[in-house]
Amino acid sequence: MSERTRPYVVHRGTTTHRVMIGAGLILAAAFVLWARGFGQFNQGQITRVMIYAIAIAGLNIATGYTGLVSVGHSAFFGLGAYTTGVLVVSHGWKPEATIPVALFVCFVVGLVVGLPALRIRGLYLAIVTLAFGVAFPEVVARLSTITGGAEGLTIRRAMLQPPTWSGFAIGQKGKWLFWLSLFVLVVVMIVVHNLVRSRYGLALMAARDNELAAAASGINLATVKTVAFGVSGALTGVGGSLFAMYLGSLVANDSFTLLNAIALLTGLVIGGEGTRFGPILGGIAVVYIPYYTSDIGQGQAAAVLFGAVLILIMFIAPEGVAGGIGRLGRNVMVLVPATPKRPGGERSSARGLGGNSERPRRQGQSIGGEMATPTD
Amino acid sequence: MEIFLDRLFSGVTAGSIYVLIALSLVVVFRSSTTINFAQGEFALFTSFVAWWLTTKGLPIVLALFAAMAVGFTMGVVAERALIRPVRRRNETAVLIVALGLFTALNGADGWIWGANDKQFPEILPHGDNDYFVIAGSRLHYDSIGIVLAMILVVTLLSLLFNRTPLGLQMRAVATNPESAALAGVKVGRVLSLSWGLSAAIGSFAGVLLVPVLPPNQLDLSSFFSILIFASAAALLGGLDSAKGAVVGGLAFGVAESMINGYATFLGGSMQLTFALVIIVVILVFKPTGLFGARRLERV
Repeated sequence: MSERTRPYVVHRGTTTHRVMIGAGLILAAAFVLWARGFGQFNQGQITRVMIYAIAIAGLNIATGYTGLVSVGHSAFFGLGAYTTGVLVVSHGWKPEATIPVALFVCFVVGLVVGLPALRIRGLYLAIVTLAFGVAFPEVVARLSTITGGAEGLTIRRAMLQPPTWSGFAIGQKGKWLFWLSLFVLVVVMIVVHNLVRSRYGLALMAARDNELAAAASGINLATVKTVAFGVSGALTGVGGSLFAMYLGSLVANDSFTLLNAIALLTGLVIGGEGTRFGPILGGIAVVYIPYYTSDIGQGQAAAVLFGAVLILIMFIAPEGVAGGIGRLGRNVMVLVPATPKRPGGERSSARGLGGNSERPRRQGQSIGGEMATPTD
Repeated sequence: MEIFLDRLFSGVTAGSIYVLIALSLVVVFRSSTTINFAQGEFALFTSFVAWWLTTKGLPIVLALFAAMAVGFTMGVVAERALIRPVRRRNETAVLIVALGLFTALNGADGWIWGANDKQFPEILPHGDNDYFVIAGSRLHYDSIGIVLAMILVVTLLSLLFNRTPLGLQMRAVATNPESAALAGVKVGRVLSLSWGLSAAIGSFAGVLLVPVLPPNQLDLSSFFSILIFASAAALLGGLDSAKGAVVGGLAFGVAESMINGYATFLGGSMQLTFALVIIVVILVFKPTGLFGARRLERV
C-alpha cells in the first residue's frame, strides 16, 4: 500500500467520544451485573481481582507514571491490611470505617519511604524499597503484641459482617465485599484518571521522562516525587485493607513477602505501566495465573510463569498488554484533545468539528497518535 | 569478655558470608554498573543443585565444584541472553528482567525440588565438639573455615584483577567501556565472564553458608535476607570496590552481632530493619560508600 489507511479521528468531548465512553460504561456495568450472579467462589475471585487492581493502581502511580520502581509495595499492602486488622480486632471498629485510616497511614509512611527518592534514583531506590519490603514481615513479627506476630492475626467472621445499612443479610459477606471493592475500585480509577490528567499528573510524567527538563520547567521534583510515593502507598494500602476483610487472617510471612511485591510489579508490567486500565488487566493476571497453574509444578508454576512473562514482556511489548492494545488501536482510531474553546465561551467550533470528526480528517500524518492535533 | 568474643566471632563469621555475596554483587556492578537482584536466587539455585547432587551420593566437595560450574554457566547465559539485549533501553528494563529471573528461579527451585525445607550436608566440621577455646570463648571450626574461604576468594579475585590480562580487561571495561572497546577489548565477552564469575562466587558462598546460617536448612526464602545484608554491605563499602565489599561486609556483620547482643532494648530480631536503615543512610549521605571511587549520583 502506498498510503496507510488513516485512523479514525475522535475528539475528546464530542458526541462520538461520549457515545464510546457510554458504551464502555454499559459494557462494564453489564459485566458487573453478570458477575453479581456468580457463585461464591467465582465472585470471590472477581473480588480479589478488584483488590489487586486497586493495589496495582497504587503502584502504577509511583512506578508507571513517576518512574520510581518500587520492589516493596507488598509492605504498603500489608500495612493497609494490618491497619484494618488491628483496628477491627483490638478496637472493635467497623471494617469499612478502617479504609480511610489505612489510606492515611499508608500515605504518611509512603511519604517517609519516598523521602530517600529525593536523592536516590533508579536501581538504588529499588534497593531501598526492596529492603523495605523484606523488612516488613520482620517489623510485624517484632510488634507481636499489636499484630499477633508470626502466628498472624485472625479477624473473626462475626466482625466482618456487612453493615445493616447496606441491606445485605448477615451471611452475605462475599456479596458485600464484592460491591465494596467495586465501589472502591471505581473511586480509585476516577481519582487516578483525574490525577493523571491534572497539572500534577503532567508533572509526574515529566519527572519520569526527563528530570532535568522537568526541573527546568519549574516542577518541584522533591514535592512531586515524595507526594507520588505517598499517594501510591496510600492506594495500595486501601487495596490491602480490603484484602484483610477478604482474607480474614493475616500472616505477614505468607501474604506480604517479597514475592508478593514482585507479583504486584509483575501485574503492573503485564497490564501496562502508566496506563489506566493496565492495573485491572494486572489484577486479572495476578489472580488467575496462579489459579490456573496451581496443579502444575508443586504450586510453583505461577512464580516461574510470572518470571518468564515478566522477561518476555520486556522483550516483546515493554508497554504491557494495555499499552500494546492501545498502540494497535491507534492504527484504527485516534483520540485527540478537544479543540480549545474560542474566547467568549461559544462552543460553535467544537460542535462543528464534532460533526466533521465522524470522517477521517485530512490533516498532517495519520500516525502521529495523540500528537496529531488538528489545526483550525 | 567471653561474651564479647563470642559476639565478635559470630559477627566475623556472618560478615564473611556477607563479604562473599557482596563481592559477587561488586563483580557485576564493576563491569556493567548494575545490581543483579537475582544474585541471591542464582546462589539458591546452585545450592539446590549441590544438595541434589549430594543426595545422589556425590561428595559435597565435588558437588560444590559442580554447583560453581552451573552458577558460572547461568551467569554467562543470563548476561548474554537476557540482560544485554535490554541494557541499552534503560535501567528499569534491566531491573525488571532481573526481577523476572528472581521469581522464575525461585519458582523453578520449588518446582524441581519441592518447597519443603532441605537438610543441607555440612561441608565444614560443624559438630558440638569442633571448636577451639580462646579466652573462654568458643571458636568453631566452621567459622574459621568460612573466614578462610572468604580470604581465599578475596586473594584469588585480587590476583585475577591485578595480575592477569583478563583482570586488566575487566578493569578497563569497568573504567570506560568505549575506550576499552577501542583498545581491542571484547567488551561483551568480558561482561559475560564477569556475570559468570560473580554467579560462581555466589554459588561457592551459598554452599558454604546454608549449613552455618540459621535456620541451617535450605528453603526457598533463604536468600532474600542475605541479598539485603549483602547489598547493605556492598553499599557500605562502595559498590565498585572489592576492598569496600570486604570492609563493608565484616563491619556490617560485626555491627549487627554487637547491636543484637548489646542493644537488647531493640529486641535482637531487627536485622533486616537495621540493614534497611544502613542502606538508606549510606545512599542519602554517602552514595559512594567508604571506598567507592565513582560518584553514583549526578544531579
